[in-house]
Amino acid sequence: MQVVQIQTPINEDVIKSLSIGDQIEINGKILCGRDAVLPKIVDLIQTDTLNTIDVSLKGAVIFHTAVSPAGIGPTTSNKVEIESSIPVLSKAGVKLHLGKGAVCADTVLALQEYHSAFAVTPPTSALFTDKMISIKVVAFPEEGMEALYEIEVKGFPAIIASVHGKTIFSDY
Amino acid sequence: MARRFSQTIKKRITVITSSDIKNAAKNSLISAGTTFRKDQLKTYRAAIKKETNPNARWALEKLLENAAIAEKNRYPLCDDTGIPHVIIEIGNRAKLQENWLQAVQEGIASGLKEMPGRPMAVKGNEVERIEQSKGLYTDPEEVIPAPITVKPISGDGMAITVLLLGGGPEIRAKTYRVFHKRSIDNVLRTASEWLINDVKNLGCTPCVPAIGIGRTHMEASALMLEAMKEGDLLKQSKWEKKITEWINAQKVGPLGLGGSTTALGAFIKIGPARASGVRIVSIRPCCCVEPRRATVVLKNQ
Repeated sequence: MQVVQIQTPINEDVIKSLSIGDQIEINGKILCGRDAVLPKIVDLIQTDTLNTIDVSLKGAVIFHTAVSPAGIGPTTSNKVEIESSIPVLSKAGVKLHLGKGAVCADTVLALQEYHSAFAVTPPTSALFTDKMISIKVVAFPEEGMEALYEIEVKGFPAIIASVHGKTIFSDY
Repeated sequence: MARRFSQTIKKRITVITSSDIKNAAKNSLISAGTTFRKDQLKTYRAAIKKETNPNARWALEKLLENAAIAEKNRYPLCDDTGIPHVIIEIGNRAKLQENWLQAVQEGIASGLKEMPGRPMAVKGNEVERIEQSKGLYTDPEEVIPAPITVKPISGDGMAITVLLLGGGPEIRAKTYRVFHKRSIDNVLRTASEWLINDVKNLGCTPCVPAIGIGRTHMEASALMLEAMKEGDLLKQSKWEKKITEWINAQKVGPLGLGGSTTALGAFIKIGPARASGVRIVSIRPCCCVEPRRATVVLKNQ
């Protein structure tokens, strides 16, 4: 199977070309956040104060992970704080949400409406450590490993799980 | 390199020293967090050969690739390095230095620092910890182990087992009563229904369900932990095979990508029973890097 190479930031045409089940490799800068920080980003968007932090969501990838000396790895994306952030972040320009676990039908529809996608990746932290080029905290450092981070990656592996209103999770 | 720590360390010792105990706890933790056991490796390889779904096979191959890098570099298998659960077995003729329990705790802390563990301990008082309003400790040593289990065994040795329990399976774990109706099939089918309901949302499949059956919620949970400690993917009982078949029939597959490998096997531990129509059943769908466990034996020859 051919692996689709994706460079960040992602444009609309790349999302249009993707199908569920596609194997991808992500290259470039991606944002990392999870339970603690994603609701804070949503709050900034909804109060029109996102400009108070140094982050651009246009074409962004958000990886649902902590960042620590133990590495990175997907946390469960269907936790309330994380899954509820997906529609708002997609509307604000995020093009790819990266995590693990099934997302619900409403989330699949929101991804379709805002031309965004959800991809899953295995919890292969040792492998990811080999693919990371740089790490920096972008916002909310008081959240420790749950702060908003930006990492740069090369050849980061994932599989498209939901895009264009379709999902791999509907068969069971 | 790390696998050697799972092997028995034979030493001519009359008293098992605190230093030996501390090192054993540390090495057990690091081995558990960085190394796949032989039964895991063999089962993954067999699953890859059998799997016909290309994306499912891709995920299984990535997990094996990850295990090789983790063992070679002593990196954590998963960034959620888990909450340490420690089981200590002490021989009836073993002589331990007086501060042995403190040495175990120091060894766990030392292992978390060296591996390293994920700094995920929450600061603050009871309410602040619940609400996570005071932030996190930056030191992985602050992740203290769950209550330690101590068990008697025969002989003059001591075994320290460390299991690292990640957060994903904890979201899906459950301890509840089952009306057995004098049928093990009924009890285990009920447990499997709970598991089937949850593995599709787990994300980190293929799983290894661990099941403990006892008289109380505490006992069932402890037996579930023992199942994780003792289970072997290459030596599956009739009922462990049945549970694996029931779960694999759902076709959730690795990472939920479909395919035939939703569970690699199952570990069951059944304890004492009380006269009652009820059994207490504890289930935990261990994720694709679990059970992360290692044992170091300190043995007098």
